[in-house]
Amino acid sequence: MERRKFIRNIAGTAITTSLLPLASCKSINGNVTEINVSNDLIEDEQWHQLGTGKKVKNPLRKKTKSYDVVVIGAGMAGIPAAVASARNGAKTVLINDRPCLGGNASSEIRVTVNGVAHLKPNNLPERETGIIEEFLLENRAKNQQESYPVWDHVLYDFVTREPNLTVMLNTQAIDAEMNGNKIVSACCWQLTTETEFIIKAPIFIDCSGDGLMAAKAGALYRTGREGKAEFNETYAPDKPDGWQMGASILMQAKDMGRPMPYEPPSFVIKYDEEKSTKRKIKQFIDGFWWVELGDDFDIVDVQEENRHKLMGYLHGVWDHVKNSGKYPESANYALDWVGSLPGRRESRRFIGDYILSERDLVEHKHFEDAIGFGGWSLDEHNPGGIENLNDPPSFFHYKFKEIYQVPFRTLYSVNIENLMFAGRNVSQTHIALSSTRIQGTCALMGQAVGTAAAICVEKNVLPRDIVQTHIKELQEQLMRDDVYIPKVAANDPKDLAKKASTIFGSSTRSGDVKNLINGISRDIDGKINHWQSEEDLPAKVQLEWEAPVSISKIEIKCDSNLKKNIMMLKQPSRKNHITTIPPELLKRLDVEARVQGNWVKVCSQEKNITRLIKFKFDQIEATAIRINMFDTYGVKTVKLFEIRCYND
Amino acid sequence: MINSLKITLSLLLPLWFLISFQTKSMAVKNINHKIVLKHPGEDIPVEVTLVEVQDSDGLPIAYFTDVESVICLEQVCKIVSVRIYWNNIGVYQKYELENGATLEKYEDDLFDPEDYKKLHTILANIDSPYKEVYLDEILTVVDEHTEDIDAVSGATALELDEKDTVPGAALTCFTLWHWVNGDIVSIIKNKTGESVSNKQLQQFLVDENETYFYIAIAELQKRKNYSKEFIDTIIKRGLKDDFLLRTAFNYLKGASVENYLYAAETLFFKGSREQKLTTTRSLINTDYKVSKGYLNNFSTQFSKLDYQEVSLLLELMQDKNPNSKVVIENVLPLLSGDFIIARRAYWFLNNETLTTKQEREIKCFYKKHKDKL
Repeated sequence: MERRKFIRNIAGTAITTSLLPLASCKSINGNVTEINVSNDLIEDEQWHQLGTGKKVKNPLRKKTKSYDVVVIGAGMAGIPAAVASARNGAKTVLINDRPCLGGNASSEIRVTVNGVAHLKPNNLPERETGIIEEFLLENRAKNQQESYPVWDHVLYDFVTREPNLTVMLNTQAIDAEMNGNKIVSACCWQLTTETEFIIKAPIFIDCSGDGLMAAKAGALYRTGREGKAEFNETYAPDKPDGWQMGASILMQAKDMGRPMPYEPPSFVIKYDEEKSTKRKIKQFIDGFWWVELGDDFDIVDVQEENRHKLMGYLHGVWDHVKNSGKYPESANYALDWVGSLPGRRESRRFIGDYILSERDLVEHKHFEDAIGFGGWSLDEHNPGGIENLNDPPSFFHYKFKEIYQVPFRTLYSVNIENLMFAGRNVSQTHIALSSTRIQGTCALMGQAVGTAAAICVEKNVLPRDIVQTHIKELQEQLMRDDVYIPKVAANDPKDLAKKASTIFGSSTRSGDVKNLINGISRDIDGKINHWQSEEDLPAKVQLEWEAPVSISKIEIKCDSNLKKNIMMLKQPSRKNHITTIPPELLKRLDVEARVQGNWVKVCSQEKNITRLIKFKFDQIEATAIRINMFDTYGVKTVKLFEIRCYND
Repeated sequence: MINSLKITLSLLLPLWFLISFQTKSMAVKNINHKIVLKHPGEDIPVEVTLVEVQDSDGLPIAYFTDVESVICLEQVCKIVSVRIYWNNIGVYQKYELENGATLEKYEDDLFDPEDYKKLHTILANIDSPYKEVYLDEILTVVDEHTEDIDAVSGATALELDEKDTVPGAALTCFTLWHWVNGDIVSIIKNKTGESVSNKQLQQFLVDENETYFYIAIAELQKRKNYSKEFIDTIIKRGLKDDFLLRTAFNYLKGASVENYLYAAETLFFKGSREQKLTTTRSLINTDYKVSKGYLNNFSTQFSKLDYQEVSLLLELMQDKNPNSKVVIENVLPLLSGDFIIARRAYWFLNNETLTTKQEREIKCFYKKHKDKL
């Protein structure tokens, strides 16, 4: 308590600073000096346009745009944040500094999109649902070849087709204009068009990982490792220190079917396996995550230096594999892809109203403001990375048997009123980060802040107000949109399905048709929350109301087998993993409504690829609806988890 | 791979098996079955000999086979022959080693006495974590302390709770678990079905363990035996255990039309809710021609049914017995009962050919409830 009070006191006096030479992005109260200004006499005729024959000034491109919500960073946190915000009614812009979407998961870096990928004891996942589930399933449908560049485009399609969402690539948010403790606009530089963008909005979300814009806005943050005492963390060092887990450069190798030579480049750094502890070189397909470098002071400052060294270390390991003679089985393997952009694990952790720590995770603390979950192990990498071969590359302190909650109060700034975060930069200790940094967990945070942002815009409130007065509304919307919140059952008063007089279905193989309105949309904690048809398809479920109800939306959560991982692995599939659309997924269905005693088909889907199936149609007055299910992607019966009906 | 896996037959083995076999006094005949099995650790299917042990009545009472203790890829493992026993419905019972033989862990460590017990527990657990792993995940476990997972690669090295494995012997556990709980289980069920007499099948149909019921039904279908005696037994069981109805109807729909309709009628009239629903669904889907008189009889039950039962039965009548005067007469009283049922009855009647008096009745219902229709 004392510590948080201290932070709040500091927050009240935070001052925005600008470290970058983009003078026009200083505080709105400061002087504005424009960029790209030439002081030569020839400036008026600098650009000879041969097409027009004119000689004109070099253009100064500067644009101002306004949105409801600005999301910075389009990785696995930023994409769900932007899509959730847009779908919930806020005019949203998604700003990404790279040409590809996906952040660490993009084709530029290729980090596996892990989530709660294997809980103890059975190594089965508890897969994240919601928006991340949607695009991972879409990737299985549209990118069966598991091409990373195609995955980039699957994501690009996913965000650019969203009607309320603008996507800006090659654009970096490098500063913030402030009005007191509120961000007025994000100042961005678009590399490809040489254009400065001033993006105004009432709500900002920094999902960029490093959080440059948030830092420039003055949001308080910390780096390094907390000492044991501060949060009573078993796995923290005795005393605080500055270490931040490193970034990794990955590679992919390919079996060429014939011996392939390898000559390392001049920047290679030799790898000494003899001195190395617990670094496996067992397979050559998806690279070596432990080719990693961090820093014990300012990791951002040394990123370029580290990148160069990481490229050297990567080739050093591969040189060892190919040319040391210890791995003759690598003879036919050749490098098929090598990264040039390190995937980062840790840098700034911004301070929120709550700092998530180890005890919260391992003791499964219940939060009234829970918005999602995590469950990756406490996977803290060693101080030093590949330059500290004496320690194992990760300590894997603790492995979870069940998932833990993530609270909303870790996702907004303690001192910048209209700023939220999602991803590795949220309010947490270094040890908590070692688990929550996993992209599936980050995606749930993203969907939460995106949804919260839309509520903020609609209600004209700030993120902190969400906790105080709208947290149930946020949780209900998240659960409606297929986010699972541990130990919380949905109870949306607008859901007409819950008001049905009766619900029944075809004969039951397992579960109970009443489970479809119990508010829990996955089997968990040893309890069944589904209904599964007994006979081979087709199957039906019917809801009936005593008096006609106005309905314009029907939302169904079907089975996508959350006990299998579906992300691309870059290596042979595992038994807890699937490389196709899950055979359980409902493929073909329609919905009929009984209007004036007659069954009328109101919507249908021939080739569904989502777990949450949303139908929207012209409002009808119906006394019953009937969902007719005809095919899955392979399984002969169908399993559902939820049915909702709305007129909103 | 384990093409080299040779299954040795009991005839050549020492007497240790017969001495220890619990049912030896009952066993009068051993029948050898050459079968081909897939094992997830093998590239190609493997032929093994499954020994069926029958009692003096020809009833299979147990099965056993001999397998190698471990799939060995580098030819450096110690392999011993392990005999695995199942009961007659494929439930694992125990394993035995040849006299003096021991199982080995990684790096020449031997199994402790406790390890043998734990291995038995693992093999008996049909939901063991070993069900969910691939061989290559096992093979990466050279030293359990070096097997790590990282967020970047997503490599899922095998990590099991100590209670779920014999540390250092994951490959043995994996190998044996899949022999014990793999395809052989359904093969044993089939063999048992094939071996038993019709009289024994009758016993299977009433056995408390429903696995016997499933075996009997599958076998009766293969034998195309739809005698009244079996049908009566199946009806009796279906009235008692509604979760067996689907399997029962799968069988009954192969019977003669008379026997099928007899069974359906008995299950509907004597059964409770699940029997009524399942029977009605079956009648909706059956290709047999069903007479109006037969269906009219069902309509006498409307007043005793709940909404779902009424709705489904009306669907049947609408489809296969429209405009039946008897049905209409039996449905009309529903208009004055529970509203949801009444409304469903109204819509049914609205599409039927009614008398003037009946028309008046439903118009009256419409006037009274038009806001809720």
